[in-house]
Parts: sequence; structure tokens; C-alpha cells
Amino acid sequence: MAVSELAGLFQGDLPMGSPMVTGDPLLDGPLLWAPLIVVAIKVLVIFVLGLVGTMFMVWFERKVVAGMQNRVGPNKAGPFGILQTLADGIKLFFKEDLLPDRADRFVFRLAPFLAFVPAFLVWSVIPLGGDYSGGRDGIVTILGQQTRVQLADPPIGILLVLAMSSIAVYGIMLAGWSSGSKYPLLGSVRASAQMISYEAALGLSLAAVLVTSGTLSTSGIVASQTTLGSWNLVTTGFIPFIVFLIAATAELNRPPFDLVEAEQELVGGFNTEYSSLRFALFFLAEFMNTITMSAIVVTLFLGGPRPPAIGNTALTIPLIPGALEGTIWFVLKLLVFLYFYVWLRATLPRLRYDQLMNLGWKVLIPISLGWFLLLAAIRVGDSNGWNVIAVVVIALVSLGLGYLLFTAALRVSSRQRDREGAMY
Amino acid sequence: MIFAGSQSVIAQINQWVAPTIDWHALAPELVLIVGINLVLFIDLSLGAAKKWAMATLTGLVFLAAFIPVVTLAVIGDASREMFDGRYVVDGYSLILKAIFLLAAYVLVLMSQNELEEGGYYQGEFYVLMMCSVLGMVMMTSARDLIAIFVALELLSIPAYMMAAWRKRDSRSNEAGVKYYLLGVFASAVLLYGMSFLYGTTGSTKLTDIGASLVDGDLLGLQVLAVVFVLGGLAFKISAVPFHSWAPDTYEGAPTPVTAFLSVASKAAGFVALMSIVMLALAPANSVVRPMLWVLAALTMTVGNVMALRQTNIVRMLAYSSVSQGGFILMPLVVIGTGNAGDSVLRAVIVYLLIYAFMNLGAFSIVIAVARRTRSGEITSFGGLFGYAPGLAVLMTIFMASLAGIPPLGGWIAKFNVFKTVLDAGDTAAYVLALIGAVNTVIAAAYYMRVLRQVWMAPAPDGDVSPIKVPSSIQAALAITAVGTVLLGVLPGLVLRFGDITDLTGALAR
Amino acid sequence: MELLVFVAASAMVLGGALGVILMRNPVHSALGLVLTLFGVAVHFVALEAHFLAAVQVIVYAGAIVVLFLFVIMLLGVDSAEDLKVDGLTIQRPLAAIIGIGTVAIVSVAVLRTRSTIAAGPALEASGDSNIRLLSRNLFSDQVLAFEITSVLLIVAVAGTVLLTRKQSGPTGARKGS
Repeated sequence: MAVSELAGLFQGDLPMGSPMVTGDPLLDGPLLWAPLIVVAIKVLVIFVLGLVGTMFMVWFERKVVAGMQNRVGPNKAGPFGILQTLADGIKLFFKEDLLPDRADRFVFRLAPFLAFVPAFLVWSVIPLGGDYSGGRDGIVTILGQQTRVQLADPPIGILLVLAMSSIAVYGIMLAGWSSGSKYPLLGSVRASAQMISYEAALGLSLAAVLVTSGTLSTSGIVASQTTLGSWNLVTTGFIPFIVFLIAATAELNRPPFDLVEAEQELVGGFNTEYSSLRFALFFLAEFMNTITMSAIVVTLFLGGPRPPAIGNTALTIPLIPGALEGTIWFVLKLLVFLYFYVWLRATLPRLRYDQLMNLGWKVLIPISLGWFLLLAAIRVGDSNGWNVIAVVVIALVSLGLGYLLFTAALRVSSRQRDREGAMY
Repeated sequence: MIFAGSQSVIAQINQWVAPTIDWHALAPELVLIVGINLVLFIDLSLGAAKKWAMATLTGLVFLAAFIPVVTLAVIGDASREMFDGRYVVDGYSLILKAIFLLAAYVLVLMSQNELEEGGYYQGEFYVLMMCSVLGMVMMTSARDLIAIFVALELLSIPAYMMAAWRKRDSRSNEAGVKYYLLGVFASAVLLYGMSFLYGTTGSTKLTDIGASLVDGDLLGLQVLAVVFVLGGLAFKISAVPFHSWAPDTYEGAPTPVTAFLSVASKAAGFVALMSIVMLALAPANSVVRPMLWVLAALTMTVGNVMALRQTNIVRMLAYSSVSQGGFILMPLVVIGTGNAGDSVLRAVIVYLLIYAFMNLGAFSIVIAVARRTRSGEITSFGGLFGYAPGLAVLMTIFMASLAGIPPLGGWIAKFNVFKTVLDAGDTAAYVLALIGAVNTVIAAAYYMRVLRQVWMAPAPDGDVSPIKVPSSIQAALAITAVGTVLLGVLPGLVLRFGDITDLTGALAR
Repeated sequence: MELLVFVAASAMVLGGALGVILMRNPVHSALGLVLTLFGVAVHFVALEAHFLAAVQVIVYAGAIVVLFLFVIMLLGVDSAEDLKVDGLTIQRPLAAIIGIGTVAIVSVAVLRTRSTIAAGPALEASGDSNIRLLSRNLFSDQVLAFEITSVLLIVAVAGTVLLTRKQSGPTGARKGS
């Protein structure tokens, strides 16, 4: 059975009814020179953009925080101090590379790469742009080849992101452990506990998106968000978006969830013993993760590079060719979230560790799970032709009951804990 | 030709048909699941003084789960199939479900006082027990490797934890750890074998595998698969040489848990073995038979010889249960040979039922006596007849039944097993029967040693005040004693019941 | 190309597995395990089972081995256990013989069976067909086993919490009379 025939089988079956043949048309044909060159160009662009974007992000963060604190911020290197990061990078590059005596040499050297590589790899599945005018569905033509503006479009796209974020845990965890020093170890244990805890909430709110989009492919998710009303932000009912944003902040170990590097308690966190280029790699990975996570939020909830549209009329930017327009929209949406993260850093105090865990396990996970079940119930009711209102009411009532049981259980257990004293 | 399902795989892509679920057939499992949640939640809000209610509630859940088993047996004589024949509720599975639920009820009666007085976590214990029973009840109907594996894990994992339930006792911890490590290893071996079976036949459904295997023309991998699967299951039924965990675990675990492991857990292992051997591995008889033959002969003999040397009653019962496992294996050796046919199933099921009664009874007595003597030595039973004649008589009944003395239940069970084996009528079967007969005599020796203590020896510490037996253990003793005697006197009750052809009938389909 | 991927992934699997048993430091062993799991994930990708590959990485590498590492780090079993102590001297040679024997038997069986196993149904991975197929199978034929697994997880959680609690037994437990 030919591939295209198989693909055709799915079309009538898709939840939103939109014809979504995911995958990149670039690789459908025989693998000739032109597609290879296109792929090579994409790899290069992503690599360069990733690095430059990170440089920009560091500068942006310093500048915005400075503005919020009524300071000037970096302003000497280059116009507006934009080359400050480059200068810092060069400085780090020339610093002495220390390797602690008690360090586990192999793992100590391995850890920065485990943090850095996944951060880069996530970029490969994010739709960075595309031509969405005239029903072209994000396909652009480069060197006579039809292709998507993303490096790869595997059918499991968004799972790759989760997989990479779970590998990034290793980088942090092993960095702390292999330093052979106590504060980095504490920092890394905190970090990995935090990341694992919030990955559950992250995954559950992601599942809400997958239920409405009906596909795991990133380009498919973008394709399902044609108009403003069908942005997943709206179709999943805002709650998964909020949960995702909070959980993502925690995944990134960014303020107010930056207990990993709480200076007062841990000296500097898991990377205390690192210096020079290895430190630079952690630093880069951290800021790059911020950008990728924002890009994922944009892809999942805000239609990615798609221009905002109401009905059939899309908002178009005059004078810019359609092929570039997607990228511009993408960057604009991205900047909103980057600013949001910086804003959080400048304004919110850090959480205590138990507050962090309570928020993750007792608030975010139940909420996102409940919301996911509600969405699933609506979907099932939809395909079986049940009355929507009845479905929602029944679902809400049973969720409410579940919530009551849950709080009752929590109350009893905390009462028992009080009675038994400090046995834990 | 091997991949009979390949057409449907492609066809499945474009049409989604929700599986039809026969709620009535699933009712026993559903009742148990509801019960698990109920006990978990109610336990949470109960004060320590009211925890006894959990035992009552658990017992009620088991009885409630019994109701649909009865209604299913009364209403439908045809088998009910679900999920493309991967979950079957037929006569075979209903009888076994009944055995498991009954045994579980008796076990709750046995555990209640032990748990209340020993300062254990109670509600959670019963939750674990119900989960384990749920796994067993599922096992009886599972006709697919995946379902069998999940059921096996569901019944084992709670058991690992129950074995270590006496947390402050290092022997109980040792019991739990040993059981866990070896059990997990066995699961891995089993899974390895299952993966080979799936890889070479292309299906996880037992009947499909049975249809794909070609007798006399087995692939090397398939032979290995059979060996691994049987080896993995042999761990679960503690067959020699995979029995090494059993004595230590049985001795270290709290006594009710030991009873649970030696009866319910083991029976579930046999159910898995039966389903797999009869439905999936029937064409691989040339591999299965010799292996089971060796397992059965070794298990009986080694278990008995080791039991002879034990001075601790629980350890002795542990080895005795190992050797009883050998007897249960005997009929499985002769599947599909001579006239054995359907009577194999009957022999195994009858044995499992009667074994459950008599072994649970024996453990109940051990629990009742140990409440006073605080000792597990066989000598602590000295003079039991003098101060607790009732218990002494019951112990005599159970021991005699375990030894296979007529007219008690154990005799009928053994008689059936030997009859089935002899019906097969070939040399291997005759030799096995001979080994079994010799073992019956050896077994009688150590069961009688206990009875000698009970009837003839004086009380070891001179304490002859009567034993107070709690009412729940009295009930357990009553049920098991009546079962043991009644099935011995009126074997027709159960022999008619065990007349099952559904499982073997499924092969022809 | 396919052969190349296969060889590379197999090297990862075997190297990782050897690392698990040969490394003296438990953390290194855990890392060896990660390598093995990755190799398996690569095999899955080569077999067009993308979803399984992703789940393999997310669940096994991302959660389970991380928890292993957690336990290793928090319990501080950084140093290798003393392997010199040996209760029964025959155990180790016996284990070696059995291990090597099993490997030999399985390899011979695989080599001899290789050509006789019929090819499975061709699963062309176009788009997300693979994921759909898997979910269909999971939610129709295997739905009961799938749902019962949730009970299994509850049991695991409840039991583990109780077994690891420091306080032993309910405080109000009555003493035996």
C-alpha cells in the first residue's frame, strides 16, 4: 500500500475535519542534491539563529530588568550595549578551565553537553515561519524545493520536545553530582526533583492541546489553529495555557522557581564548580531553553507562525512577501513571552521549596488533569452526539466530587501528620 | 500464514470500533475495583480504634464480588468473550474465580485478629489484598499474553509488599526482599519468553499462538520461548528448582500472608500455567511435556524431603506446599495424551479447590495456636489435644487431608490426579505416578509427626489453659473444615462442577 | 544505511549493558543504562515506531533512570560495594557459566531461526499511522489490561509509601490479650 494511499485514509478520520497531511514535502521525492542543500541550509540557519538569539536574549533580559529597576544596563559594547554578551562570551572563553579534585572527570566533562545539546535539538521541530497566505499551509519554496520552515517534522514532533527536556535533566543532575561538592549536589537534586515534578503538569496540559488538535506533529498543531477563535489558547479554554506557562517557568528553573540557584542557600547552584567554556555552555543552554520554551508555547497555543485571522481574512503585513511574514509573526509572538519571563524575574520573589512542590503536585497537576478529562469528555460527547451542556454539567459535577475527595484526603493526611509529629 | 491477523491490522487503521464490553461478565472485577477505592477512602477517615471495620468491609466486598460469579454461572452456560476472545468468562474461569474469592474471604477472616493485635497498617493491607485478588480473578479469564502478564504482576506486586508487612522484623523484610527480587527476575524471564513467542508467531492471543505453532517443527526460538515461559511461571508456583525463595519468604512473612502466598498466589500461577500450556503451547507438547515432567517429579520429591527435616511448622508447611505444587503439576504433564484429555483440567481445578480448603485450615490452626504459644516450632503443638481438643481434631483433619487419607478431601484430589495420569497410559506417565505414590508416603510421615505432637506429646511449657479462638478464626476454621470433609465425603459435588471442556474446546475454534 | 543504524544502535545497547554490569561506580552504571535505553529507542525509530521511541526516552531515560540516580545520590552509595565477599564460592563461576550458556543458546537459536521467521505485516509509517494503530490496539483489544495497569500503579504507590514510612504501625493499636 502506497504511502499516499495510507495517508488518504486518515483524512476523513481527523477530529477537526481539516486535511492535515503532516510531514515535510521536501523529503517525499528522491533525495537529490537540492533537498540536501536545503536541509544543510536549515541546519546552519537554526544553529546560527540559536546562538544569536541566545545572545540577544541575554542582552534583552539585562536591559529590560535594568529598565524596570531604573538603571541603564549594559550600554558600552556596541549600540545599546548589544554586544555585551559577545564580550562576556569572549571573557569566559579565555578564563581558566578548572576541574575540581574530587570531581568525576568523565561525567564532569559530559554534563555541559547533556544540557546544551537538547536545548539545540528542540529547535529542529519548531515551525519558525512559513507562507500561510492563499492556503499554502506554511509551505515555502527554497531552491525550487517545496518545504516547511522547520528543520524536521516528525509525526511525534511535540514528544521530541518532552524527550529532550527529560534529557536536559541529566545535564543538571550530573553536573551537580560530578562536582564532588555538597552545594552543587543539593542544587542539582533540587533541580531534577523540580523538573520531574513539573513535567507531569506540563505533559498533562500538553495533552489537552493534543486532544483538540488531534496530532502530535508540530506543523499539524499549527495547521489546526487557522483563526483566532481556533487558537488552542481558546479551544482548550485558557486553563491549560496558564498551567503550561507556570510549569514551563518551573521547568526552566527561572524565577520565581529558581531554587536551583538560590544564592543565599546554595552558593551558586549546580554549576558552582564550573568555569570557562563549560560554564558558558550551561549559561547558553539556560537562556536558549527560555527561548525554545516560549517558542513551544507559541506553537502550541498561539498558532505558531500563522498570522492572526478572523474567519477567512488574515491580518497581513503590507510590503513583506508571504514567505517571510510567518517568521515575523512568530518572532512577534515570541517576544511577548520572552518579555513575560523577564518581567517575572524582575518582579516576583522566589518560592520556598515546599511551596514549590505543593503548587506542582497539589494544584497544577490536579487542575490540568481535571481539565484534560473535561475536554476529553466533551470530545467523546461530541462524536457520540450527546448534549454538550449535559456532558459538561455531569463532567463538572464528577470532577467536583473528585476534588472534594481529594481535599478531604489532603486534610486528613495533614491532620495525621500533625498528630504523629515530626516523623517524616 | 503465520500472521493471520495482518489483514485486520491494515483494516484497523481506517475504522475505529469501540470494543463491546459485557458489563455483567466484568462485574466481579468491577466490584473489586470499587471495593478497593471504597476501602482506601473509608480507611482514611477512620480512627485507629475503628480500623477493624476494614476487615468486615473487605470481607463484604469479596462476598459481593461472589454474587455476579454466581449469577453468571446460573444465567449463561455459553462462554462470554470480549476483546476478540482475549478475555473469556466461561465455566473454567468462573469456578476459579469462585475459588479465589472464597479463599480470599477465608483469608480476611484469618488476618483480622493478627493484624489488629500486631500493630500493622490494616486498611492498606486489605487494599493490597484486594488488588492481588483482582489480579487473580483477572487471570482466570485472561486469554492473551499481555493480559496474563498484567494480571500476574497485579497479583504479585501487592504480595511482595504484604510479605514485608511486619516492618520492624528483619525476617519479614528479608522475606519481602527475597520474594521481590526473585519474583521480578522470574517476571523478566517470563517476559523474555513471551517476547519470543510474540516475535515468532505474531500474536499475543493464546489461541492464535496455539494455531501458529507447528508440532514437531518448532523453531529454535520457539523452543527457547517455551522454556523461558515455563521457567518464569515455575518461579510463581515455586516449583523446584525455582523454589528457593519460598521457605524463607513463607517463614518471614506474617502468617496470614504466608497462607495467602501458599494458596491463592500459587493457585493463580497454576491458572496462568494452565491457560498458556493448554491454549498456546499445546502444539509444543514435545517440549512442554518433558519439562513439566521433570518439574513435577523434582518438585514433589525435593519439597517432601526438605519438609521432613523442618522443625518449624510454617517452614514445614512451606515445603509441604512446594511438594503439593508438584502433585498439581502432575496432570498437566499428560495433557493431550491417551485418554487424559479433559480430565486434566478437572483434576487440577479440584486439587486447587481442596488444597485451598485444607491448607488455609492448617494455617488457621497455626495462627490460633501461635496466639498463645508465640512460637512456630512443631514442638509447641505438644499436648494440644489436652487443652484444646477442638483444635486438635481439626488439625488432624487438615493434616490427614494434606497427606491424602480417605475419606477426606485431599484423598479425592490425589485420587483424581493419579487417575488422570494413569489414564494417559504411557511409560513416562506410569513412572511419574510411581514417583507420586512414593512421595505420598513420604509426605504422610511429616504430617503424622505433627499429629504425634498434637495427640501424644505433653505441653512443652506445662501451660494447659484453654486457647481462646477469636470468632473470625472460628469462622475460617468452620468453612475450611466443612469444605475439606464435605468434598471428601461427597466428591460428586465438585467432580460434576469441574466438568469443563470450554478451555480445551476453545482450541478447536 | 539501515544496517549502519542497526549496528550503531546495537553497539549502544550492548556497550551500555556491559557498562551497567562492569562499572564500579553506580552512577556510571546508571548512565550505562541510559545509553542502552537510547540504543533501544534508536532501534524503535529504525523500525518506524516513533511513538515508542519517544516514550522510551521520556519514560525510561527521563523518569525512571533519573529516579535511580536520585536514590543513588541521596543514599550516597557512591562507592562500589565490596564484591570480594562471597558466601558460596561456587556461585560466581556457576553464574558465569549459566549466563554465557544462555547467551550462546539464544544466539544460536536466533541465528538458526533467522531465515525461517515470516516477515510481519508491513507497517509503513506515513504521518502518524503508527501512533493511531498503537492507540487503536491499546484501546480495543488490550483495553482491560491497559485499565487494570492503573490499579497496579495505585498499588505500587500506596504500598511504597507505607513500606517507607518511618513511623511503624498505627499508634492506637491494641496489644494482644
